[in-house]
Amino acid sequence: MLDKFVGIVTGYVNTHTVKQIIALPILLLVLSIAIITGATVLHGTPVPLGLEFEGGVMATLATDMTDSQLENDFASYDLISVRAAGNRKLVQFGAMDQDTQMQLTEHINTKYPDSEIMQIGQVYSTELQKQAIKAVIFAFLGMAIVVFLIFRSPIPSGAVVLSAFSDIVIAVAFMNIIGIELTIGTVAALLMLIGYSVDSDILLTTRLLKRRGTIEDNIFHAMKTGMTMTLTTLAALVMMYLVSTFSYLVTSFSQISIISDISIVLIFGLAADLVNTWLLNTGILKWYIETTPQRKSSKKRARS
Amino acid sequence: MSSATRKSQKDIDKAERGLFRDPRILLFIAAILLSAWFIHPGITDGKLTSNLRYGLDLEGGTWIQLQLEGEVVTLDADMGKIIQQDFSTLLNDNVTVTGTSPTKVTFTTTRPVSKKTIESFGYGAANISGNTVSLAVNKPSAIVAFLGNNIDGEIIFLGSDTYEIRKDITKDELNILLASVGGQIEKNGQGEDLYSHTVVPETLELTKTILNSKLNAFGLLDVPMRTVGDNIILIDLAGTDMATAQNLVAKPGKFEIRVYTTGNDTRHVLYGEDITSVGVPRERDEGIWGIDFSVNQHGAIALRDAAYETGATDDPINHEVAMYLDGKQIFSAPLANELAANLKQMAVNKVAVGSQSFVTTTGAGEVGEAKAKELQIHLREGALPVAVKIIGSGQVPAKLGAQFRIQSLIAGLFALLMVSFVVFLRYHQKGILIPMLATSVSEVFMILGFASLVGWQLDLASIAGIIAVIGTGIDHLVIITDEVLYEGSLPPTKVYLSRISKAFGIIMAAAATTIVAMLPLVFMGFGSLKGFAITTIVGVLIGVLIARPAYGRVIKEVLE
Repeated sequence: MLDKFVGIVTGYVNTHTVKQIIALPILLLVLSIAIITGATVLHGTPVPLGLEFEGGVMATLATDMTDSQLENDFASYDLISVRAAGNRKLVQFGAMDQDTQMQLTEHINTKYPDSEIMQIGQVYSTELQKQAIKAVIFAFLGMAIVVFLIFRSPIPSGAVVLSAFSDIVIAVAFMNIIGIELTIGTVAALLMLIGYSVDSDILLTTRLLKRRGTIEDNIFHAMKTGMTMTLTTLAALVMMYLVSTFSYLVTSFSQISIISDISIVLIFGLAADLVNTWLLNTGILKWYIETTPQRKSSKKRARS
Repeated sequence: MSSATRKSQKDIDKAERGLFRDPRILLFIAAILLSAWFIHPGITDGKLTSNLRYGLDLEGGTWIQLQLEGEVVTLDADMGKIIQQDFSTLLNDNVTVTGTSPTKVTFTTTRPVSKKTIESFGYGAANISGNTVSLAVNKPSAIVAFLGNNIDGEIIFLGSDTYEIRKDITKDELNILLASVGGQIEKNGQGEDLYSHTVVPETLELTKTILNSKLNAFGLLDVPMRTVGDNIILIDLAGTDMATAQNLVAKPGKFEIRVYTTGNDTRHVLYGEDITSVGVPRERDEGIWGIDFSVNQHGAIALRDAAYETGATDDPINHEVAMYLDGKQIFSAPLANELAANLKQMAVNKVAVGSQSFVTTTGAGEVGEAKAKELQIHLREGALPVAVKIIGSGQVPAKLGAQFRIQSLIAGLFALLMVSFVVFLRYHQKGILIPMLATSVSEVFMILGFASLVGWQLDLASIAGIIAVIGTGIDHLVIITDEVLYEGSLPPTKVYLSRISKAFGIIMAAAATTIVAMLPLVFMGFGSLKGFAITTIVGVLIGVLIARPAYGRVIKEVLE
């Protein structure tokens, strides 16, 4: 089944020009950049910010009360939203001073035992925002440097970096579309994406540049291995997403939001990675090998 | 036979010797045994026990992040102007400074003043002749006293015109205050103000010590406290709810000073909020230990009046001054004779007092020293050395933590099942499936072993890290398998060796990028993301150095 699918994709790559091959991934990238730009213009941030980055108080309550009953109960506090989180209710409040916040904590603990609460002050959230942005930028730069050191050639390295960049951008755009907030968990997911993304790209580039044999053959084998890699990871993530998000339907468990958020962001990031590795990166590499004279001769030698 | 082929022949021989003589396998077995030893799983009273420690989100409890509100500032001011301004306010008189030298300031006042009154303002030793007061004071101590009186907080001179202000004060507020005495915040070579919102390491340590003793007093032992940067403390309080934790940490204990009236009756004098600073235990005259502390103007007036009205100034022995923490008496002693006389004089003359320093003596010798140290902590519990602000906190109930633990385990097992399914669909060989899953599980086991060894707390973020490692781990095992089985079956040993080294070329490159991508988070980052990054890095290293090489060897054996 996998052989057949990989055969179809390899066939497509082999019979089309580089422009045709990379059209889809480039379109996705441009679309995602447009979404992110739009979101930035509309909301001031590229992704909706979660509590950790925005500040305020959030609590998940084990309660059967309706949204409006909860709104009444918390009327004296700066309640921003009430929503369902699995079998619990998630209430979010704006920033408040220490005394009010301590009063709210007491109120929640007395009336809704076994609640999860998180409170983040403005100082901390601003600092976290700065750190998260720095972490993603430095992680990306670090990855790019290592990739350049490994391949020592601008176009193949650039293709790997572009593909990883596109994975992240598409994942962020996707977060905007289905309304996943940027939290500590989703920042971790974006960083993991860097690691997963380059795995298959490095495999592809090494196989294509350093292995003898026809380029078609090499693409076929690399894709077979690479798709297996991504599919196993995706399978694991889908399972983790289901257990962390929906187990409340069959058990008394509540959601683990951090694991749920990480897995959904990675699922879409890896889906994007399939397109970016096997069309964008492969397309660029194929074009590079076919147009670089030295490569051509070595390819001829391999064929003869 | 050339040396190169002889060498590769040697490698082939090495690769073909028995599985249990291969160093990669031996290393792997050793690592597994060590991990088992470190994790030390067991069953006690029907419950699974281990050395694994869980973070708050898997155990239940409250975490708190405290920021210390202090500044380190380099500044300058005019000593004469400080004395003129402060003594005019304190003595309620327009004093005139007649001379200043680096170690002395002389001024004249129209008020009748005693040596003790002047000295109780905390500027230094005084010499009085008629209306002229000569004060032995240098610039740093004048600045410390001046800022202390005007900011109501503790000021520490750090040397070379630099001071630590243990209270929140903005640059502008400080500049206005300094301008009134001909001073300003100094600038560095680049023209930037030498003002930073931070505290010195000693203050951070002292704050931690006092917080710890406070938590101990509450019955919370071994509370993990970490510092981030130079002014943030992270506290994890297992099994404590958020309201209790916040009260404990951010609110000072209720400290009160009372004075005995008749018999066992006491009268309120002041609360801890009036105490502005606490000194360090010091040996005073004749081996008597004591500790000084300062109170603000409100406290000073209250003490003066209470001591005078209860008769403690005339009969200190029968009207001891007692200190209480949260309603419990922690110290009681008579007023020192000199202090009693001085308070009486101030009360009789109705001298408008400013903030005041007092010395509490605790007795002689080691007993006195120990008492002074204890009293310091108690006085501090009324006042942490520096103001603190809760910048973040959270609570996970124990019930939910336990549920998260089971749920992440289930998620992990289901994920592993799904992975097995996909791997089996791809290879259709139990001989590949079983070693692959065993390798993956062993990597997790070794990460847990490492976590137990370094006593590191597993939280949801580090579980995310473990997931990341399993994911890349399976990826790498697939790379190894596909390299080795490039033609569909196991190649001759020589080809196998070159394939393995190719596979590891790709794996090491991929691992290097993952590690480099995680490094920024190790060096910065507040807690949770740091745990995630460290777990990922350690896991990737364990994977590429121990588990995956062993898999490469085992797969050969199995396919043969």
